Amino acid sequence: MNILFVEDDNIETMKLQRTVSKLQTKHNITEAKNGEEALDFLKSDSDLPDIILLDLNMPRMSGIEFLKILKADEVMKYLPTIILTTSENRADLLECYKVGIAGYILKPLKYEDYEMKIRAVFEYWEANELVKA
Amino acid sequence: MDNKEIVLLKKALDRQKRARAQAERILEEKSKELYDVSYHLRESNARLENLLTETKSELDGVFMNIVDPYVVMDLQFNIIKMNPSAKDFLGYDCEKETVNLSTLVHPDYYAYTAESIQSLFEVGVLKNYQAMIVLKDRVEKYVQINSSLVYDKNRKPIAAQGIIRDITHETEIKHLLADQKKELDIIVENSPLGIVLTVDNKIVKSNGTFVKLVGYSKSELRTMYIDHFSSPEDAEKSKELIKQMDAGELDQYSIVKKYIRKDGSILWAKSFVNAFKNVQGKLEYQVAMIEDISNERELELEKEDLLAELEESNKGLQEYAHIVSHDLKSPLRSISALATWLYEDYKDVLDENGVTQLSLMQEKVEAMDKLIVGILKYSTVSSDAVENTMVDVNMVIKEITDIIYIPDHVEVKIVKQLPVIFADKTKVHQVFQNFMSNAVVHIENKVGLVHIDYEETNTHWQFSIEDNGVGIPKEYHEKIFKIFQSIGNKAGSTGIGLSIVKKIIDLYEGEVWLESTPGEGTTFYFTIKK
Repeated sequence: MNILFVEDDNIETMKLQRTVSKLQTKHNITEAKNGEEALDFLKSDSDLPDIILLDLNMPRMSGIEFLKILKADEVMKYLPTIILTTSENRADLLECYKVGIAGYILKPLKYEDYEMKIRAVFEYWEANELVKA
Repeated sequence: MDNKEIVLLKKALDRQKRARAQAERILEEKSKELYDVSYHLRESNARLENLLTETKSELDGVFMNIVDPYVVMDLQFNIIKMNPSAKDFLGYDCEKETVNLSTLVHPDYYAYTAESIQSLFEVGVLKNYQAMIVLKDRVEKYVQINSSLVYDKNRKPIAAQGIIRDITHETEIKHLLADQKKELDIIVENSPLGIVLTVDNKIVKSNGTFVKLVGYSKSELRTMYIDHFSSPEDAEKSKELIKQMDAGELDQYSIVKKYIRKDGSILWAKSFVNAFKNVQGKLEYQVAMIEDISNERELELEKEDLLAELEESNKGLQEYAHIVSHDLKSPLRSISALATWLYEDYKDVLDENGVTQLSLMQEKVEAMDKLIVGILKYSTVSSDAVENTMVDVNMVIKEITDIIYIPDHVEVKIVKQLPVIFADKTKVHQVFQNFMSNAVVHIENKVGLVHIDYEETNTHWQFSIEDNGVGIPKEYHEKIFKIFQSIGNKAGSTGIGLSIVKKIIDLYEGEVWLESTPGEGTTFYFTIKK
């Protein structure tokens, strides 16, 4: 799968890379440090990703702002976007579902729990028929 | 004389004879006619005389039988003639005594009577004279008199006649009604509510309060319609209600709306409108009572503003709490991941001690994460429902002793088995953790003791946390519960802890206080409502 990973924290990126490297299937992860970088990538000539993993708390452009731009776009609105966040704020959760998301994953404290969750997400999306841009 | 002459003379004589006979006949006829006429005249005269007598006696009858008292007076108002009804009513009889009508007038009516008499002499007629008179038996009566002058053939006034009507009862009722009206008017005029009576929405009556409220005079109001005062934004709603009332669908309604005063300013008022229907069920009157609620309105608006402000600030605070907790949680996740990787990647080279330290690190990270979650939950307590469950306080103390740093020389002891209470576990945890952390770090004695105990009252659980630490000087006993008031000089003392404790205890309708002797120790007490 082609994955766009929008996350500003280095160690979070390391966590995802480490987790994905342990998976049997090969995945292509594109990293973006914030919403603006992610939009730049999406607007470039590169292939659109199959799924987007999105952090909410980021500098410059927050996850929700990015999500709103995404969902307002005629083409990009089809991209399944899964939120990956520490925010247990119910207001955030409701807002995200309102704008349109494919999942809302809370980052657990323990790394083992994190691996478990990410594995489940990847397995689920691998089992899915994707849009394939 | 010749024959011819004789014949002519005879003929002339004959003619004369005939003419005399004719004249005599005419005279006879005429005198007969004359006789007839005089006879007729005599007859008519007799008839007329009869008629006159009859009429006079009839009039006498009317005079005597007239129901109302009737008097004829000379020009000094001495009664010359009175009917039985007058004798009856006045108690006087002009045939037995001198009765002067003017002397019967009550002193209060002298001036008015003088005026009236003058008018009678000027105009010849006096209508609807109303005054109080005093009868022979000293009883006071209200009378109405219609009077007129009587003239001789030279149009010279010679007498006055008057018909008296007893209006005492009527007048008393009138006075009673006037009194009642006056009383009612006093109530209406002095009502704190503006009161308006309308017919077909046209104002027919309004009280002084309403005049003051809207600034129009009573006479101005009498030409106005009640919907005149509605502001454009209320007009629709107001009109609809009036329409429903006109249609008989509504007997009463109340509406809070703006009234536009004469000077264009706005009056916030609450109106209660009632419909009054006649026996046929047709709408006859509407009574509107208008209460000035400007002050209440102002207060309400002020309250709304304050509430909105408070809500905004609460929201901001919650938002802030979420951001802070995110900012604290993210690095904890990183530390946890890094510790995990250290173990995963270097477990071959780590000795047992290293492994233990890494796992201790994980434990502390976990404890901190829980605390962050707890604080976040507390800070959103106003919006979140408090999750009350049965909480075993012994277990809470055990958990706390596991996560807080307890120096080796300090012993935490539960004096007797603590109760299971119905409360929010995170909050109970926070309260005890604060007291216990404070207790253990401020002990400089060689053997530190922290005793946790409780008592049960009818309404509350009372807990105590006693230490043999440095103690807290009296002047700080109140201050330490205020936010950011830290008296300790230990690093990491934020001054938030006890203020959070106080807030939680407030939530459970409890109290918190302490007893302390510097150098000997401190006992914190707090209560939680059962």
